[in-house]
Amino acid sequence: MHTLAAAMPDPMIALRSVSKRYGSKTVVHDVSFDVEQGEIVGFLGPNGAGKTTTMRMIAGYTTPTTGRVTVAGFDMVTQNQAAARKIGYLPEHPPLYDVLDVSTFLRFVAKVKGVSPREVPRALERVIAACHLEAVHRSEIFKLSKGYRQRLGLAQALLGSPEVLLLDEPTAGLDPGQIQETREVIRAFGQNHAVLLSTHILHEVTLICQRVAIINQGRLLAIDSPSGLQRASEQTNSVLLEATAPADSLRDELLSIEGVNAVRVQPMPGRPSMHSVECQVDAGDGIEARIARVVSTRWELHRLERQQPTLENIFLRYVGTGNAERLAA
Amino acid sequence: MRGLLAIYQKELITYFRSPIAYFVVSVFLVGTGYFFLYNIFMTGIGTMNETLQNMGVVLLIVVPVITMRLFSGEYTGRTMELLMTLPLKPWQIVLGKYLGAGTILLLMTLATCIDLIPLYLYGTPETKTILSGYIGFLLLGMACLAIGQFFSALTQNQIVAALITVPVLLMFWFVGHLQSFQSSYAMRSLLGYLSFAQHFADFIRGLVRSEAVMFYVIVSAIALALNTSYLQWRR
Repeated sequence: MHTLAAAMPDPMIALRSVSKRYGSKTVVHDVSFDVEQGEIVGFLGPNGAGKTTTMRMIAGYTTPTTGRVTVAGFDMVTQNQAAARKIGYLPEHPPLYDVLDVSTFLRFVAKVKGVSPREVPRALERVIAACHLEAVHRSEIFKLSKGYRQRLGLAQALLGSPEVLLLDEPTAGLDPGQIQETREVIRAFGQNHAVLLSTHILHEVTLICQRVAIINQGRLLAIDSPSGLQRASEQTNSVLLEATAPADSLRDELLSIEGVNAVRVQPMPGRPSMHSVECQVDAGDGIEARIARVVSTRWELHRLERQQPTLENIFLRYVGTGNAERLAA
Repeated sequence: MRGLLAIYQKELITYFRSPIAYFVVSVFLVGTGYFFLYNIFMTGIGTMNETLQNMGVVLLIVVPVITMRLFSGEYTGRTMELLMTLPLKPWQIVLGKYLGAGTILLLMTLATCIDLIPLYLYGTPETKTILSGYIGFLLLGMACLAIGQFFSALTQNQIVAALITVPVLLMFWFVGHLQSFQSSYAMRSLLGYLSFAQHFADFIRGLVRSEAVMFYVIVSAIALALNTSYLQWRR
């Protein structure tokens, strides 16, 4: 008799209550999530959030202080070698040997990854074409531009037909055309494999990721599809309005409306007796109409707008607006 | 085995595509060539004994230059992250690099054989003694490389790695001189046993003693084991 657990395939990447401490400082706190086959998960967080440390634990570069990481069912501590064969990893800084040329470097990585000698030329040809490295495949690595270095880093990660791809900022330093091409490579790879993509670029996440994990100060704050996060955010979204009215009366009147949970009234500089108001409201239709009716019957209403939850807003809500400056739009 | 071989080949390519190998081999050959000429003309005796002794001392200075980049270079080049996440066991990385550095040592040693041409043309040297001296030199070199490689793994700075290796190797070379300051027989024996120079002197005299061979092999094995453990511990 088969149990349900036995019938369910292992997730390609699984983190269970993973924490990492360096001395007294805990950089990753109790993080748990899965990445399934055929799924691209965006790993989002400001600098210093713990993204790179988490990626390194999944890649096997460092071990968790507590918790367990498995890749394709292999434990990253006790079955590191078997797991490493399943992983293609592009660290934040592409790890390249400057004195080698592109082909020699890729041949070295292919050999270590166990690509058979007969298969090596074909494997090199495939990743060189996928990452558009044809023009530089005989060049020494130290002569490459930042964009080419990044693409060479991706090419080495793709070698050996890995089942899991871990990409730490894969489009950093690329021009818009190269970014588009790289996203296509990741999207194509992600159709049959598991991809964990760490990035600052929110737009990138909405374009290619099925799910988003948001991490800040080492804690996993949310993991859901971009639309799921937006739906969750709609449960408590906001309405902005501008009206000519006394602040106290306006606040009291708005709070008396059903569905309005909190109100923040601010005077508008240079426009006496005008106020801008942000209302935290429940989800549901008709709240804007009720607010408009109440305000316009007593005072002059200049503007009313319901704020649609974008991924950027959601991200900022999770990590705090203090990190906004560190985000690349 | 393929992983080890790939690391070994990568190390050799790295040595020969950077100026290090050429510089080290040149300095070593100039140094040994000078001592060879000096010893032949000063003593007038056609042997390699004195030259091999001098080669041992030059080796203590040259080895740190060969080994300093082995791991420090991986740290500063951020390539350690690649090596440690590829399907490679730490011992494969350590041994692949060690054999790469050992090949440079072997090439350096073979290049000094040019000194033997005039020796055999104009003298009657003892082949067995020369052979035993070269075996001792290679064993000494491999032990020094293992120690230098271990210290390279401990620091990101190549210069610091070299600066730690030189005094440690000098200590192993000169530790035998402290014997005369010891009253305890056990202590004198221990210092004698730890001396690179005393074991090497046996080889130069033509004695290939199993105790001396084992000494260099054990020193190399301990340094390589420490190196491997350190890489595992870093995870």
